[in-house]
Amino acid sequence: MPVVELSYSRLQKLLGKVSKKQISDSLPFLGLDIESEDKDLVRVEYSPNRPDYSTDLGIALGLQGLFGIKTGAIKLNIKKSNDYVIHVEPSVTKIRPFVTGIIAKNGRIDDTIIKQLMAMQEDLHFGIGRKRKKSSIGIHDLDKISFPLRYTTTKRDHRFVPLNSDKELTISEILDNTDVGQDYGAILGNSPQVPLILDSKKQTVSFPPIINAAVTTVTTKTRNLFVEVTGINKDDAEDMLSVVATILQTAGFALVSTKISGAKNTSPKLEPKKILINSVLINQMLGLNLTNSQIISSLKKSRLDAALKGKNIVCSIPSYRFDIFGPMDLVEEVTLGYGIQNLEPILSPSQTLGQTNPISIKLKSLSLIMIGLGYTEALNSSLTSKRVLYEMTNREPMNMISVLDSKSQEHTILRDSILPGLLENLSRNIHISYPQRLFETGTIFSQGNPVNETASFAGISAHQDSTFTEIKSILQSALKTGFDLDIETKTFSHPIFEEGRTASISVHGKTIGIVGEINSKTIENYKIRVPVVGFEISLSGLIFD
Amino acid sequence: MSQVFHEIEKKIITSLKNNPKQTPENLEKSTNLSPDQIRRGIEWLKLKELAIVNESQTVNLFLGKNGLESFHKGLPERRLLDLLKNESKKLQDLQKELGSIFGPAMGLARKNNWVDTSEDKIFLKNYPSELPGEKTLKQIGENKISKSELDIDDLSSILKRPDFIIEDIIKTKEVSLTENAKLIEITTGSSSAINVESKVSDVFVARTHPLKDTIDEIREIFVTLGFTEIIGNMAQPSFWNFDALFTPQDHPARELQDTFYLDGLSAKKIGTSEQIRKISESHKKSWRYYWDINEARKMVLRTHTTCVTIKHLAENKPDEARVFSLGRVFRNEKVSYKHLVEFNQIEGVVVGKNATLRDLMGIQREFYRRIGITKIKFWPTFFPYTEPSLQTMVYNDRLEKWVELFGMGIFRPEVTKPLGITKPVLAWGGGIERIAMLKYGLDDVREFYNNNLSWLRSATKCQ
Repeated sequence: MPVVELSYSRLQKLLGKVSKKQISDSLPFLGLDIESEDKDLVRVEYSPNRPDYSTDLGIALGLQGLFGIKTGAIKLNIKKSNDYVIHVEPSVTKIRPFVTGIIAKNGRIDDTIIKQLMAMQEDLHFGIGRKRKKSSIGIHDLDKISFPLRYTTTKRDHRFVPLNSDKELTISEILDNTDVGQDYGAILGNSPQVPLILDSKKQTVSFPPIINAAVTTVTTKTRNLFVEVTGINKDDAEDMLSVVATILQTAGFALVSTKISGAKNTSPKLEPKKILINSVLINQMLGLNLTNSQIISSLKKSRLDAALKGKNIVCSIPSYRFDIFGPMDLVEEVTLGYGIQNLEPILSPSQTLGQTNPISIKLKSLSLIMIGLGYTEALNSSLTSKRVLYEMTNREPMNMISVLDSKSQEHTILRDSILPGLLENLSRNIHISYPQRLFETGTIFSQGNPVNETASFAGISAHQDSTFTEIKSILQSALKTGFDLDIETKTFSHPIFEEGRTASISVHGKTIGIVGEINSKTIENYKIRVPVVGFEISLSGLIFD
Repeated sequence: MSQVFHEIEKKIITSLKNNPKQTPENLEKSTNLSPDQIRRGIEWLKLKELAIVNESQTVNLFLGKNGLESFHKGLPERRLLDLLKNESKKLQDLQKELGSIFGPAMGLARKNNWVDTSEDKIFLKNYPSELPGEKTLKQIGENKISKSELDIDDLSSILKRPDFIIEDIIKTKEVSLTENAKLIEITTGSSSAINVESKVSDVFVARTHPLKDTIDEIREIFVTLGFTEIIGNMAQPSFWNFDALFTPQDHPARELQDTFYLDGLSAKKIGTSEQIRKISESHKKSWRYYWDINEARKMVLRTHTTCVTIKHLAENKPDEARVFSLGRVFRNEKVSYKHLVEFNQIEGVVVGKNATLRDLMGIQREFYRRIGITKIKFWPTFFPYTEPSLQTMVYNDRLEKWVELFGMGIFRPEVTKPLGITKPVLAWGGGIERIAMLKYGLDDVREFYNNNLSWLRSATKCQ
């Protein structure tokens, strides 16, 4: 979850007469988890479906609603203008077909706002932009650009000075040699043509979705902004634009429209969408008896507009709230506006009778038998390593199931046996008093259609006088007590076990496992200093069908 | 005195009350107990501070071969003097008469001026009525006598003569009762009492794993709240783990860095054609992207157990149900004190036409109450497949802060509708290790899977 750092004093300036404590108590009720606090600063985690909360301006809008300082939807006041035209050329259709944009004028931005705008841009890129693939954003100094603009394509030898650089680079050089080029270049594939925004003086404004030109860099001296969004989907691009537009208007900028045409592109409207709801659904979901006016007031506190129309409530949702899909999302908005703390939990009698799964019951019974036999239960990960599973036990890996790109070396392969894990446990307890007796029941994996999961049961006994007879006797007693089964043992060989002191275990003529003395090589690998005996059997057919 | 005594202790105390200072040997006789019983009884009484044992050393003397001969026949010098008492005698005659003792006897007699020689004869000069050593010989005789009873001067005159006097050093113990013990009233009764106050050694009990205990406890709570347990696979097609739960295929949570994909494994059959068609339509409409069935076929290690419950609901379409699934889930994370790649989760659903968010909160509150957590509150949160979504915060007294536990919400219509589920579905779930950490006071979640025997043997079982 992304994190934003807020300053209480800045929030207080944005909110008016509200104490620090009121703010910190209310942040969680916007869905913001306080991660840490340090005097005036507070770091909060926000959910990626609310990119407007990546800035304190957006959070202030939410808090105003909760405190009742300002309620209802935030309206975008966009002044119509014909001065800012973007022509879209058909060549972009196959690579990145859509562009949209807005002008923000006469604002003041300090370092904090620049920092927050950059963070918001990154969050938008990551979330709704799907790492810039779906849509990406560029914020520019308007005064360095001459309109009209052209959204077009260019060859990879096109040159311009990119952001954070002082010399001209070709598109190819940017893709090969800069961090952003390496991170996002793949979006453009091998296409010889790449998207480009040029101004009327043929000056490069932006190379989407990779990087802006240096010339339009925004600083604290910038007063007027041009925001462009490009993407593969018009709606996503406009959703992204509306978040930025809302935040810039809140920061004090005056919004002015752009005019976009060509290749199925149109000017953005950024208009609210309407969703109809009724009190029945809301009360049914929440278990409350709210009146229409209570519902409307709750929605307004959540910074939405709502009005009664017949028996229904018409809800008007600003375009930046694209996380709202339908009526159930509005149930949540009512909940937040009403206040979760005002919802009293109720415990209704259950209409159903509960039941433990029979498999759980049998596994538990087997555990209790092993406890009775003096064995302590161990728990190991089912996702383990080649080292534990094969290298230490000299087993040959066969049809291993491995996971892709694990962050941990110790967790890369699904276990096909429990015993290696138990031996590993013994090796970590060599300074603890003996005898040590462990057992584990758990899932083992093998390739099948596509994966077979079976329950396996293993036990191990380590002490100076451990013998084959001891462990066979334990297994025999466990299966007799647990399942009224008699086992047969036949000479067998297996890489973990000592030759001549190992047997296969069969029940009714079907081999279900192995029992024996662990061989000295394995014991040495694990640096265990006492003899070890063990068994492992499959529970298929015993506990599972 | 409420102490209980063993029969041995009783006999010893009784005997010492009659005869306050006794050696163990005496006690054997007076109590008719064996030396070993006496030894043990005295040890027990000493530990209870009821008996005092004084150890002392006595030296007893008895006569050796030469000493005995002198006792019966007289000292060699006495026998010489007696021979000369009536007449002087020739040296040869005396030598013949006294044999080997003549030399030493003659030496002593001359030195003490009892005899003298003239020409070839030896005559008596002086006849002492008692010679040094005679008194001692007479006193010891054929007995053993304590050194302290003898005249030390007289004794020393013969102590060094070879094989005359033999020393026998005896260490003796003398047992007596302490003042407390003297007050004890011995009653006849229970004869099998033992020393219940002495220390005994620890035995390590075999036991179920502490985390399993927590899992069992949680399972039981939900079963008693009317929930039925269902079990499903850990390896799941992405379809049930993600697509069916309204998580778009290009969502960051589905990337390799968060989810474990099984190398090269895809499921041939992932659902009915209707399920697949409706879910793909729902995704295309809401998320505006190209939905790829091959992406949905990719096998992953489940990131939650919700995939098991949603599949169950899709297959059974109940109008009224409470089910839960409990088991291992996986996240591709760096292992740390607070993160594991594999941990246990419980996830449950309530289906019913009258199911409300307040009911969901009520079930959570009841669950926490039953595991002993009463300080809870609910905060809003976000999950892709529920709306509204809440999380429970519980107050941890030890850490003095609110910690996040179960998440919950109502399944989105985008989840339920395509699968033909028509009634509201309340869903909740969360990690079990977190609860177990609170219960066992652990700060490092890895402890549960270390199988460290010293912890397994010491973690308090009943709590």
